[in-house]
Amino acid sequence: MDLRRFVDLYVSESREHVQLLQRSLLALEKQPAGPAVDQAFRAAHTLKGLAAAMGYGSVTELAHHLEDRLEEVRAGRLVPEPDLVDAMLADADRLEAAIAEALTRPPGEPAGRTDPSAPSSGPNTRTPAAVPDGTGIVAVIRLRPDAPIKSARAMIIMRGLESVGTVLGSHPPAFDDDFDGGLHVFLGHPVDGDAVRNVISGAGDVDSIALLDPNELVQAAAPVAEPAVSPPPPSRQVRVDAHRLDRAGEDVTELAVLFSRIEAGLPRHGPADDAMSRMGRVLASLQRDMLQLRMVPLADSLDRLHRVVRDAARATGRDVALHIDGDDVELDRAIVDEMGDCFVHLLRNAVDHGIEPSAERVAADKPATGCIRIAATPERSSVRITVSDDGRGVDGRKVMTRARAAGLLPEGGTDDLDDAAVFRLLSHPGLSTADEVSAVSGRGVGMDVVVSRIRSLGGAIDMMTEAGAGTTFIIRLPVTLAMSHALRVRVGREEYAIPLTHVVEAVDLNGTVDAARDKVWLRDAAVPLVRLRDVLQVEGEGREETAVIAVRGDRKVALAVDELVGREQIQVRSFDDVTGTLPYFTGAILLADGRPALVLDPLSVM
Amino acid sequence: MARTVLICDDALFMRSMLADILTGAGFEVVGEAQTGAEAVKRYKELTPDLVTMDIVMPDMGGIDAVRAIMKDHPQARILMCSAMGQQALVIEAIQAGARDFVVKPFQPSRVLEAVQRVLG
Repeated sequence: MDLRRFVDLYVSESREHVQLLQRSLLALEKQPAGPAVDQAFRAAHTLKGLAAAMGYGSVTELAHHLEDRLEEVRAGRLVPEPDLVDAMLADADRLEAAIAEALTRPPGEPAGRTDPSAPSSGPNTRTPAAVPDGTGIVAVIRLRPDAPIKSARAMIIMRGLESVGTVLGSHPPAFDDDFDGGLHVFLGHPVDGDAVRNVISGAGDVDSIALLDPNELVQAAAPVAEPAVSPPPPSRQVRVDAHRLDRAGEDVTELAVLFSRIEAGLPRHGPADDAMSRMGRVLASLQRDMLQLRMVPLADSLDRLHRVVRDAARATGRDVALHIDGDDVELDRAIVDEMGDCFVHLLRNAVDHGIEPSAERVAADKPATGCIRIAATPERSSVRITVSDDGRGVDGRKVMTRARAAGLLPEGGTDDLDDAAVFRLLSHPGLSTADEVSAVSGRGVGMDVVVSRIRSLGGAIDMMTEAGAGTTFIIRLPVTLAMSHALRVRVGREEYAIPLTHVVEAVDLNGTVDAARDKVWLRDAAVPLVRLRDVLQVEGEGREETAVIAVRGDRKVALAVDELVGREQIQVRSFDDVTGTLPYFTGAILLADGRPALVLDPLSVM
Repeated sequence: MARTVLICDDALFMRSMLADILTGAGFEVVGEAQTGAEAVKRYKELTPDLVTMDIVMPDMGGIDAVRAIMKDHPQARILMCSAMGQQALVIEAIQAGARDFVVKPFQPSRVLEAVQRVLG
């Protein structure tokens, strides 16, 4: 087992116990008879155990010494006078310093290790996933920590072993950049132990070799597989001001954008290639870490909804139960925060306008208790959240009547609008299906705000409704706001970015467009073709060679562009006022070469 | 008879340094090459006991040179000389048949250890 992996954990946990020890010692001085002495004793004891497990001898001894003294105090043989407390506090300070030193020093061997010849003396003793059948000997090898290019050295060892025996496999099975220098090689019968040893030690940079029987391997690994501290230390949590996290995230993002800008300006195969590629990897890992730090479970936003439904149900005299599935799905904290009001609105709306009074439900052969269900499921790079009720559904005719009264829909015309059209009317500012403004859902955030907020987050919302059966809202949200991949496309002289969240593919338009140029044939299915040139009112004629296929639910649209320029990581900066701009754009970005480009929402042209 | 070595590197400094280390250890530098193609040609003429091969060279890279030499002379003993950060290339060279590698900047002791392993 590589103890180095546990150093950080050891230090952070030990620090907590040292602080506890210091606090308890101060309390002990004030109240010698109180519980402080037990607390201090336990802290010292825990510190001793942690240090022993990591093999830090001096810390173990110091803690042990303190533990002895505290035992004397506990037994009443020593009185915690100021001098004694001073001495113990000084010991605690020394402990603190010695623990901090662990960060700069590799851990020693764990105390009480069973057999020095066992493979725990160095080589990787994690029990390999599987010892291949027919294994006669397992060569447990550890390379010197300072060996350069350990993966290449491991390959030389493997090649050497192939020349003196039958190599059945190895653990790890392949050697990559992450290879830490510990490997198991499984050799089949017959094995010439001396030859194997000679080959391995002759391969260079080898720190230790052990040849073990396969059964011995499992036994030898067992004692170290269980650390002396049990149960395994829990993960430590740090509370950080969210704004600090945001700032750090913005900095990392900015760094990534600057990196791609520099990279775009550098010649290929230049002298900085190695450093640039390594920097790219580090940045990517940093971004992943930052992303993880920003993620919170949806539950943070959904938990309070039970109360919302309960209050709304009481106010309207409805009988409603709320079920939430998938609230462990994680999203960017900023998205979860922003979505809170939206869920409140959708739920109040469902209670107020969707769920019928119990008597009406029973008469319609439905359960007396209405049901509202929220379900979240991860989907590619987005999360799909449905909010559904089993109420009366949205009455399209009623919506249309109101829309006509409000002048949103011309008099006459069709009475048969599909769900999407009804939803567009519903989410128009100022339109409500309630016969009168109710105390529950008629105020505050309206459906128009819900829709524009979800859009500004880079998501989408659709509605499906059926008279008598209920209404379902389907919300798709990006997992993160921080960074997303986008396609760069050119239309006319301008470049635009299309976030990949809703893009499934890009197709060559040659030969796939029908005569009327309004459909694209995609694997025998017709997809409506929208010419961005027309939508964006770009003058002149373009080549329109390529189409980007965007998808929303099961609907697809092909967006014809002049050219696919490339793919790029972007950070969208939302417009201050989304409603004041052209409806197709959700924000602006800086391209890698520093020019600004508008971010096009492919769903907005559907 | 002193053992013979062919040094392949496009940098004069590196060739001189390696020549210095190897002659100091009793080798005879029978040839030098500045490109991969030259390395292949010189190997055929000289069939030295040892070849040191830089990875990045003009004309033909060191890895292609290893492949070309190993194709006709599978017994060739080639030591790769790699700069920091060329892990992937070193692995490729080992797969192509190079016996061992050293990483620049060279420490004479490490070079000689590697040479011993290659010839051993």
